[in-house]
Amino acid sequence: MTDGPAVIAAEQLVYRYDKQAEPALCGVDLSIERGQAVGLLGPNGSGKSTLINLLAGLRTPQGGRIRYPGPGVPSVAWVPQEYAFYPELTCLENLRFFAAMLALTGAQAQRRVDGAIQTCMLQEFAGRRARHCSGGVRRRLNLGIALLQQPEVLLLDEPTVGVDPQSRAFLLDRVRDMVRDGTAVLYATHYMEEVSAVCSHIVLLDHGRVLASGDLATLLRGPAGSAPFDHLEALFMHYTRRRLRD
Amino acid sequence: MTRPIQTARQIARLAAKEWLLLMRNPHGLAVLFLMPAVFVLIMSFTLKNTLVARVDLPVTGWVMEDTTAIAGQWAKEWFDRHGGQRFASRDELQAALKTRRVEAGVVVRSPLMGADGRPHIEQLELWLGNLVQPAAAARLRAELSFSLLQVQMKIAAAEAGPFASVLLASAGSTELSAQGTPKVRYLYEIESGRAMTAVQQSVPAWLIFGMFFVVIPIAGVLIQERNEGTLARLATFKVSMGAVLGGKLLAFILLNWVQLAFMLVMGRWIVPLLGGDALSLDIHPGWFLLVVVATSAAAVGLALLVAAYTRNFDHAAALGGGLNVVLAAIAGVMVPRMLMPQGLQRLSEWSPMGWALDAMQSVFLGSPSAGHLLPRLGLLSGFAALCMVLSWWALRNTKGAR
Repeated sequence: MTDGPAVIAAEQLVYRYDKQAEPALCGVDLSIERGQAVGLLGPNGSGKSTLINLLAGLRTPQGGRIRYPGPGVPSVAWVPQEYAFYPELTCLENLRFFAAMLALTGAQAQRRVDGAIQTCMLQEFAGRRARHCSGGVRRRLNLGIALLQQPEVLLLDEPTVGVDPQSRAFLLDRVRDMVRDGTAVLYATHYMEEVSAVCSHIVLLDHGRVLASGDLATLLRGPAGSAPFDHLEALFMHYTRRRLRD
Repeated sequence: MTRPIQTARQIARLAAKEWLLLMRNPHGLAVLFLMPAVFVLIMSFTLKNTLVARVDLPVTGWVMEDTTAIAGQWAKEWFDRHGGQRFASRDELQAALKTRRVEAGVVVRSPLMGADGRPHIEQLELWLGNLVQPAAAARLRAELSFSLLQVQMKIAAAEAGPFASVLLASAGSTELSAQGTPKVRYLYEIESGRAMTAVQQSVPAWLIFGMFFVVIPIAGVLIQERNEGTLARLATFKVSMGAVLGGKLLAFILLNWVQLAFMLVMGRWIVPLLGGDALSLDIHPGWFLLVVVATSAAAVGLALLVAAYTRNFDHAAALGGGLNVVLAAIAGVMVPRMLMPQGLQRLSEWSPMGWALDAMQSVFLGSPSAGHLLPRLGLLSGFAALCMVLSWWALRNTKGAR
């Protein structure tokens, strides 16, 4: 999909859930470079979350493989669509707890916690229990926890669901900053404008297969011999059709 | 940092997190501490009158409808010996029973003496208040019968003439009367030399019940971790499921010790403060330690199992709470096993709480032996190991959503 050296690459990934007739993923290829943001698009049930789970190491592919072409295994962090933290702990306690799960000294862990608080603008809410925070703050905390891992690859699974425009703009800015600083980002979402704002490349997935992938600007020009797409949503509907999904 | 050290550090931090979450869960704390404490208080006093060696006569009111000299003399002797309160009419006696000024009443109908010149017990009416203990009522009946028998013996002896003086003397003697009842002795008393009390029965029973209720906080956190993706996130932080379960095991075994200390304080100092008996802590420390650790492991193991195989907290609370109540009822926590029918007593041998209670009571009742305790410790440890393996098996693939 890209010409540069990939940080993480998936080759012909296959995954089928127990008792499911159709595979969730069927021969999916993907690669992400350092400092590149790839938008992962697809209707509900297309296999986006499964692909992210495989790349995060939460599931093992039943076919194909995941490669790390660079030296060593990169640090991979995952931001799930759920609030994957402890609502009864404060934002600071959550960050400290997850930092303590890493193989760090106390001082290193503290520095990472401070960095996450600063990057995600959580200073004001550090002492507040997470369940008492707004959706926007919780999304920021969700991202902040992933940042503790100082990821070289960041996997974002619908990270802006249920937040106000201000919080969304803030989160998108942070992701852009990280891309600029060299992080490889895979950004799964249903919001086309977010992909347009953050990603240079896209992978369009449906029924576990890649329908289209590549440079966003090139894809928007449309297939050879056809008219260009007005916007990303037109491209999405062209490939995935209008049929409603489960 | 080596992997084992990192894992140990993770387990310690996971355990600390569990404590922090528990401290912020007032309902969980109430279930773990308040509920068993309230049960100890209630049951210590409820069973106090059942597990006593001496049965006192109830406070009794009398209505004398027979005003003959012999009836009066008999009543006077009764009052001299047992005390009592006279009422002028049945209505007054009834009012006194209703307001609980007396616990029982005796109405002496006229004539007490039959045509044969002997007093007849059928001429007595025994009235019992709603709260009189069955044992106390039985003793009152027995004392009344015996007292009338004494009167009959005196009359018979008087009729027998001059040679009956010896018989007459013994009839009037208190040696013959049913002063008190046969002394009741439990095996525990025979073995330990200490008096059996309700609190000695209740504390180990309700402690075990409380320990097994860790299912509520464990399930609450574990199900939330699983459903909200926190377990999956921990996996991306290279935290193994074994470490997650290890952290919970460590946290809640420590918590069980806090529960234990709390319950011992309740039994030793709070119950006596309210008028109950004091818990005797003259127990074997080594056996005690082993029994608590094995019970704790079984309780946490069962809690993890319930949490691992239920989909949401409502399921876990219903299943875990219900299971605990059933296991406790079978085990003899709620009603002492000695009061159960034989079939139910045999069934209690199949309850983990029953194994724990057997072991704990033999420690608390001062008669622990390796032959009695080791099989029960083995069963508890095996049960704990089985639960944990099954929990790990269910959770090993708990990963992100599709």
